[in-house]
Amino acid sequence: MADKYLELVNSGFTKKLAKTLGLPRPAILRRYAPGAALLPGPVLLLGDSAEAQGVADTLLGWGLDVRRHAAGGEKLGGIILLLDELRAPGELSAPMLAAAGALRDLAPGARIVSFSRPAMESDAPAVAAVRQGIDGAIRSLGRELRGGATANGIVLGPKATATAPSALAALHFLLSGRSAYVDGQFLHIETTDGTLPADFDKPLAGKVAVVTGAARGIGAAIAHTLHRDGATIVLVDVPSAGDALAAVANEVTGTALQLDVTRADAGAKIIEHALARHGRLDIVIHNAGITRDKLLANMDAARWDSVIAVNLASQLAMNEAFLAAKLPGLRIVSLASTSGIAGNRGQTNYAASKGGVIGMVRASAPDFAANGGGINAVAPGFIETEMTAKIPVATRAVARMLMPSLMQGGLPGDVAEAIGFLASDAAAGINGSTLRVCGQSMVGA
Amino acid sequence: MSDKSPAIRPAVIIGGNRIPFARSNGAYSKASNQDMLTAALDGLIARFGLQGQRIGAVAAGAVLKHSKDFNLVRECVLGTSLSAHTPAYDVQMACATGMEAIGSLANKIKLGQIDSGIGGGVDTTSDAPIAVSEGLREMLMELNRARSTGAKLKALSKFRPRDLAPNAPGTGEPRTGLSMGDHQAITTKAWNITREAQDELALASHKNLAAAYERNFFDDLITPFAGVAQDTNMRADSTLEKLASLKPAFGKNLGAEATMTAGNSTPLTDGASTVLLGSEEYARANDLPMLANFVDFEAAAVDFVHGAEGLLMAPTHAVARILERNNLTLQDFDFYEIHEAFAGTVLSTLAAWEDADFCKNKLGLDAALGSIDRTKLNVNGSSLAAGHPFAATGGRIVATLAKMLHEKGSGRGLVSVCAAGGQGVVAIVEAR
Amino acid sequence: MSPRPTEVLGVAPSLGSLYAKAAGARVRAMLPGSKPDGGGLPMVEHHLEALDIDAAHLVAYQRLMGDTVRDELPSVFVHGLAFPVAMSVLVRKDFPLPLLGMVHLANKVKHLRPISPRATLSVTAYATGLREHRAGTALDVVAEVREGKELVWRGVSTYLARGVWQGPKPGSTAEPRAAFAAPVRTASWKLAADTGRAYAAVMGDYNPIHLWAASAKALGMKRAIAHGMYLAGRALAGAAPHGDGYDWDIEFATPVLLPSTVEVSFRDHATGTAFSGWGARSNKPHFSGNITVNDEAGAQG
Repeated sequence: MADKYLELVNSGFTKKLAKTLGLPRPAILRRYAPGAALLPGPVLLLGDSAEAQGVADTLLGWGLDVRRHAAGGEKLGGIILLLDELRAPGELSAPMLAAAGALRDLAPGARIVSFSRPAMESDAPAVAAVRQGIDGAIRSLGRELRGGATANGIVLGPKATATAPSALAALHFLLSGRSAYVDGQFLHIETTDGTLPADFDKPLAGKVAVVTGAARGIGAAIAHTLHRDGATIVLVDVPSAGDALAAVANEVTGTALQLDVTRADAGAKIIEHALARHGRLDIVIHNAGITRDKLLANMDAARWDSVIAVNLASQLAMNEAFLAAKLPGLRIVSLASTSGIAGNRGQTNYAASKGGVIGMVRASAPDFAANGGGINAVAPGFIETEMTAKIPVATRAVARMLMPSLMQGGLPGDVAEAIGFLASDAAAGINGSTLRVCGQSMVGA
Repeated sequence: MSDKSPAIRPAVIIGGNRIPFARSNGAYSKASNQDMLTAALDGLIARFGLQGQRIGAVAAGAVLKHSKDFNLVRECVLGTSLSAHTPAYDVQMACATGMEAIGSLANKIKLGQIDSGIGGGVDTTSDAPIAVSEGLREMLMELNRARSTGAKLKALSKFRPRDLAPNAPGTGEPRTGLSMGDHQAITTKAWNITREAQDELALASHKNLAAAYERNFFDDLITPFAGVAQDTNMRADSTLEKLASLKPAFGKNLGAEATMTAGNSTPLTDGASTVLLGSEEYARANDLPMLANFVDFEAAAVDFVHGAEGLLMAPTHAVARILERNNLTLQDFDFYEIHEAFAGTVLSTLAAWEDADFCKNKLGLDAALGSIDRTKLNVNGSSLAAGHPFAATGGRIVATLAKMLHEKGSGRGLVSVCAAGGQGVVAIVEAR
Repeated sequence: MSPRPTEVLGVAPSLGSLYAKAAGARVRAMLPGSKPDGGGLPMVEHHLEALDIDAAHLVAYQRLMGDTVRDELPSVFVHGLAFPVAMSVLVRKDFPLPLLGMVHLANKVKHLRPISPRATLSVTAYATGLREHRAGTALDVVAEVREGKELVWRGVSTYLARGVWQGPKPGSTAEPRAAFAAPVRTASWKLAADTGRAYAAVMGDYNPIHLWAASAKALGMKRAIAHGMYLAGRALAGAAPHGDGYDWDIEFATPVLLPSTVEVSFRDHATGTAFSGWGARSNKPHFSGNITVNDEAGAQG
């Protein structure tokens, strides 16, 4: 979906006009393309941590120039804040102010990523305070950045380190164009499981991935992205969407499986197809979903029940089948929604299903981990799809520009990138979590 | 010939795909044969992940074809994601086109000439070719040949306004001028097939097809097209009373004895079907399912022109021969797929096999072939409900039957498809 | 050889001028005091040495009949070639019956062997067998076609001058026509209004009763009627053998009004094929006939 406004305010005469009139000028986001540089300039590594050397070495290994001090006069591609060893609120001052001095040097599309530890009930109050404070600081910084730059954080659990595979993979994801529409978010690393890909352009090489609801919209984008990243795709959608499904399947050289995911045997059918036709099943993306919006006062059973059946109950049922099949290392990514976090008028049913997904992945994580796999969710915000194209123009423009700090809607591919990351082996240390891909919209936390 | 012969390897039915069949001048009225066959191929390619593959051969055809579609199937292949190195050819054997295409590919696979093949067919009576009149055609041809202005003027002078009336293709037999339905009406009466029996068969077809949809049987056999997800001719709510209320449509010259209505005859239909075949090696190498073996097929033709045999009775002859060649009896089958051109066709065929005189005098057998277990007949519906886009019917039947046999896990099925010109093709398919 | 004296025609007579001559005779016949001649048939045969066989007409004929274009002359086409010579006998001043309005009752043809379109054919025609018929006066017109001296085709066409009697009108001898029971149809011919004109354009037989409803009405028909030879040609196209000689005959019962649908039955038997046609709406018989493979040629079968 081309955003004409975004094009206009970023080019030629109309750019000047928009500037003069003080119109919001959403930036053209730095998105991933295979072979692109990880960052648009050197990375500034701030903060005192035992992890600093390891992280610096990794960054150098990724071909980045690493600075320990802001040199000035140089456009920076990103800033990494190592805040994992902070023990008291006062210690946050130095690294944050050091970063402040470098903010004006950030290149368009730059990235700020923090490393920190989670604030836990068992922590000393001061420790918990500074750790939780980091959360607020980074989220606020995200809202201050311009030019499509973002700020996100990596939270290292008690068993994790900054150089754990999943922490580095998360760092790579957040620095890269893959995270273009991820802003103000924290990725929680639980374990040191996982292996970094041999080729960051093909992180899913050799994997077989099932994508439900793949006929159009975000599902089709997921299929394309996972295929680009090296996976063989099984595309699932309801039989009535079979023609669109076939078209996507042929584009991504995958196989189409016409299947209603609410069928009791849907999980079994998916397993059977993947194993028989592709010999394995590594990844399942629960993307199939429907909306049947109505104010609760006007809600009927058909609307409520069908949304719950498709968006949530089907996932629970299929997950049972996947667990029973003991597929080794199976990674699942479910589609949640910011509606399920912050709520949305007219979407009680939808928000119930999407909030339900968030609860489901959190509770299912141990079971999937038992087979060496994991389950996470991605919660998209305002994404430009055929569906949102039906929203009236004015509403859409407001939703795009005023709500998220990136001042624009995301693209289906932005959601797909996050899903691809969470589906990869390198993300094995991330489990039970929900990652928002919302351009840091105001709704929700 | 036997699959056990060392020189011959099995031809395996891997699966199929068709678009829903739509009543003529309905949902697909803007779709061409090329559009529909390409869509059916696209769905097959997607189902089996054939993108970029060089298939041994794609054979299909259409009964009603525009002259611009002289290379219809190859043009369709070029429009898909199959390798451009995939050869393709058009087949035409009237309503048996699909069967002949599939059978010929199976033979090539058995002989080791190809490892994989896609057979099928397509037809539209909504986008049928309209030919200019013979007079205009001759005038234009002469004009084309004329070199001098004088010769051109002379050619033009032959034009007559009546030549502007176009010729639409009919379903009449060229040698008799009778429509297929009127031909069948003769046979239906000759075999004393009652209106009630025909209506019951039609009703069963609709009920069986609807039930098959209901249990998702077609999820991996059909890909929607042009907003249509199910065969539009299907009437799940049809009743014997509704069928009984219809007026005769064929054999009206029989007056009160006419029994064939629009309800127990197939309507004109648009649609396309495809079937993927391969050797066992091909299927294994590509991790593809093996639903059934395409064991054998047989074509027959009868002398219908002077009424010696009914126009659509050729399959009775073909079945007699294929049974003998394969050392089988008519009762050795778990499923019978008898194309329902008309309910009367199926019932006349069954009656003929049960008739000792017919089997002795016409088929040259010692005794009647006997009855079949009617509960094994067209169990997932057939053309009366699904419709019959002439060349596409063979592909529909073969893919459906192969899946039925695979689900059952054993046994064999008999296919019988009658065709214009007094022809027919039958086939034996075995579960695996 | 016939004992009749032979009148050799210099050129093939044109059917148009023959019809004009016949029409003139009809007008003369209507003049006061004019009566049927009352005499017998002229004892003469007309002979034409070299028939003009037009290849384009042959193709047009074969197309019109829905037959395959082959390198042999269809039997009805030969009839058409000989027809002007036969007609020339009927328009002789000494011919006792009016030609126009004469009804075609039957044909009996021996097509002795396949005839090449490039053969040089001669034709001899004469009238014979003048006789009383319950509806008027009947006669046969015999045409013999030879290649060199060899007789290759012999046709006997029977005509009826309806309501014309040589002597006094006989008492009603008409046998009640048996109720017609249509056999099982094996074909159906949908004949368009221009069927007569199309046949005339190919075979040159522009008899007005075949052309337009108006011209047919002027001659006492309800509408234009199909040429009997067109119906015979269609029947032969559907059943005549190729590469063999054969006999065929056809009898006409009621005329085929144009346009109409004729239901047809072909029935193969041991020596050939029987055929008949009747009205789809009227259910009245139009014609019936038979084709048999020649005894000599048929011996192999």
